[in-house]
Amino acid sequence: MRWDDIKEGFRNFWQEFKSIKFGLFGLFLLFIFVIAVFINAYIVPFPEASKRWRDITYWEDNPVSAPPMWINYFSSMKRAPSSIISEYSLSEEKKGNLTLKKVVFEYKYLYDYPPIDIIFHCQIEGSPVIILSIERPDGKVVTLTKRAISKIDIRTLRISIGNDARAESYNFGIKFENPQQNRIERELIKPIQILFAEAKEGILVNPSFLKGTYKIIADIILPGLKDQVTDPSLFISGSVSGWLGTDSAKRDIWSGIIAGVKWALLIGLLTAFTSVSIGVIFGVVSAYLGGWQDSLMQRIFEIFVGVPLLPVLIVMSAIFRPNIWTMIIMMSCFFWVGPVKTVRSIGLQIKEETYIEAAKAFGASSSRIIFKHMIPLLIPYSFASMALYVPSAIIYEASISLLGLGDATIVTWGQILHDALRGGAVINGLWWWVIPPGLLIALMGMTFAFIGFAMDKILHPKLRTR
Amino acid sequence: MYWRYCLKRIIYGLVTFVILIFIFSALFNTTMEKTLRAQIEEEIRAETLKMDTRMSPEEITHFIAERRAFKQHLYHLDKPLWHRIVWRAINVLSLNFGKATIMKSSAGESDVWGIIAECLPRTILLFTTAICINIILGLWLGLKKAQKAGGLMDKTTSIGTMLVYGMPSWWLGMLVIMFFAYKLRLFPSGSLHSIPPPSGFAYYIDLLYHMTLPVLTLVAIGFWGSSYLIRNIVLSILQEDYIMATRTRGIPERKVLYGHAMRTAAPPIVTMALLSLLASVGGNIIFEGIFSWPGLGNLYWISIEQNDIPVLMGNLFVTTALYLAGLVILDLIYGFLDPRIKVGGRQ
Repeated sequence: MRWDDIKEGFRNFWQEFKSIKFGLFGLFLLFIFVIAVFINAYIVPFPEASKRWRDITYWEDNPVSAPPMWINYFSSMKRAPSSIISEYSLSEEKKGNLTLKKVVFEYKYLYDYPPIDIIFHCQIEGSPVIILSIERPDGKVVTLTKRAISKIDIRTLRISIGNDARAESYNFGIKFENPQQNRIERELIKPIQILFAEAKEGILVNPSFLKGTYKIIADIILPGLKDQVTDPSLFISGSVSGWLGTDSAKRDIWSGIIAGVKWALLIGLLTAFTSVSIGVIFGVVSAYLGGWQDSLMQRIFEIFVGVPLLPVLIVMSAIFRPNIWTMIIMMSCFFWVGPVKTVRSIGLQIKEETYIEAAKAFGASSSRIIFKHMIPLLIPYSFASMALYVPSAIIYEASISLLGLGDATIVTWGQILHDALRGGAVINGLWWWVIPPGLLIALMGMTFAFIGFAMDKILHPKLRTR
Repeated sequence: MYWRYCLKRIIYGLVTFVILIFIFSALFNTTMEKTLRAQIEEEIRAETLKMDTRMSPEEITHFIAERRAFKQHLYHLDKPLWHRIVWRAINVLSLNFGKATIMKSSAGESDVWGIIAECLPRTILLFTTAICINIILGLWLGLKKAQKAGGLMDKTTSIGTMLVYGMPSWWLGMLVIMFFAYKLRLFPSGSLHSIPPPSGFAYYIDLLYHMTLPVLTLVAIGFWGSSYLIRNIVLSILQEDYIMATRTRGIPERKVLYGHAMRTAAPPIVTMALLSLLASVGGNIIFEGIFSWPGLGNLYWISIEQNDIPVLMGNLFVTTALYLAGLVILDLIYGFLDPRIKVGGRQ
């Protein structure tokens, strides 16, 4: 079989494939997945999610277990979403060596439920003093926290108002509260809720929130000329966050899901490719050689068929703690048995064809006959079965990861689900943490099922209609 | 002829099992011996604590060394590698899985075989129930689809098949628990029965109640695939010449389908049913962990969490045996239903 024949074959195949709608839909989905891998960095708010999934400092600003942003459309209570405010107005004043800087952020709060936390970030040099305060829409100004930085060359400063302004917000709230009726321990208050509440009775225990523009003001005192404060920014840690919310470790689930596409494709395609290749070659060789070699190979095949796949993979993963590559190898070691039986029976038919006999008569070697004359005929079949093996490879990896035995250096959908199960997402109804990863597994499976079934339909025209 | 075929197939199955056990023993030898050594040290420490306190330090060290040598000899740890592997494989084949490090059966024994034997019937109960319902539904839908192949119903349900093709059963389980058990509070979130278990007839009602959710999930995932397969099997039979011949004889369509096509379709359908049961053992097993159904699959979860290697290995051996037994039974039934098989192609 020459290269041109293969090309011709593919062209015919494509002609037929084009007429199967769900097959095309599958290809379309696959295309979207591949695109998602390539533009990964542009569609997620946390592009380093794949590398720093388990790095808590990367996620520390996010809210804990926040639902996705779009639930606001379905709910009468609008929650404040996460956002970054990097625009600010700056005024500067010099008094000798001393510099006074005033950075003002404006936050338009037009929601029914305030954010979880507000976090101030900046880069500092030297030993400045930073005073954070908030000016509310009703004109009241609350000083939140004062920080005098001791002399360290350069570093980043992070002030979480929710944590660091606990006492100040309590003192602010207690002025309006009726302490006899509404008693609350200082440790139990929610500072941000107090700061965003109307100044009236009930501010500490049952606040009603004040809409309007809040100004977060950072007064910066720079005692020396070398002292500097740069890149101030404000992170609003919302009560809803991102496209798919966050998990209990503050991770953005959308970023994790998109990072997982790459690994799912890699695991699925690579496992399917290696295992089907091994299986097809094994089957053809077994069919071609015949005799005792065939029987021997069939016995080996039968031993592998007798292996219960998932249990063995689980035990091997539990004991050897594989990384992603060894996991793919492990899966390929057991997956190859799938196509062998069919391939062998097809191979037995091809073997009897006259052109094989002719090739033998010309003195072609066995490997030449197998690889040049027999395997090319099986390429369409191999592709169809490859497509149908991709979902099972992904499911197996997900199942192993679900048990917590996955490769800890990457992020896969199975691992997200493992964390969800461990983090009590099922019990607490954190559906945005449970549904998306599984849905993506199912969607990826569906993609390849569409493609595989479409190929199957072309290869077995008998099954189309009556 | 049939009994010879049976015998051959059973012997093949046994040989495969023995070979697999040897392979597993070799593969996991290091880990198992590490656990065994740790267990021995633990036992010796317990013995020294119970000992006479008047012994001198030299005597104690001597005693410990003696006991260690004795135990290592007992567990064949002083023998060469191949000997240890063979010894372990033989142990496994005689159902002697050793003692669990942490886990205990509900009777309070730490014998691995006891722990597994307790879980085995529960797994079988859950999955066979699910598969039975699955096949009945699949048969009903598959025949409908085959009768009107290419019709609206056929097309929509075929798309349904592809939708659930890559869906993990345990994920659906998680959703189902979240919705039915925690949101609506209609069903229990898991386990075998309520605590304390009711007695008498109420026990079985309670068991059914606890089984509903996992079984429904398994059926919801499974019956699409089985109906699609049954459709394909029946459809290819309906195209045979003899079906055409029956039709020309004027035999009603119902009779053609149920009387003639089904007889030929029976062996592949039975195979399919058993294969999906086997696939459950091989693939759906961790599904149990989600529903905390205390079967073999749940045992994998617990033994991994508690790092109990002997239980994990014992569980693997039992699952393998179960799986292989299933394969053998499959072939026997197939041979029984389809006489062409048992004769063999070679004669």
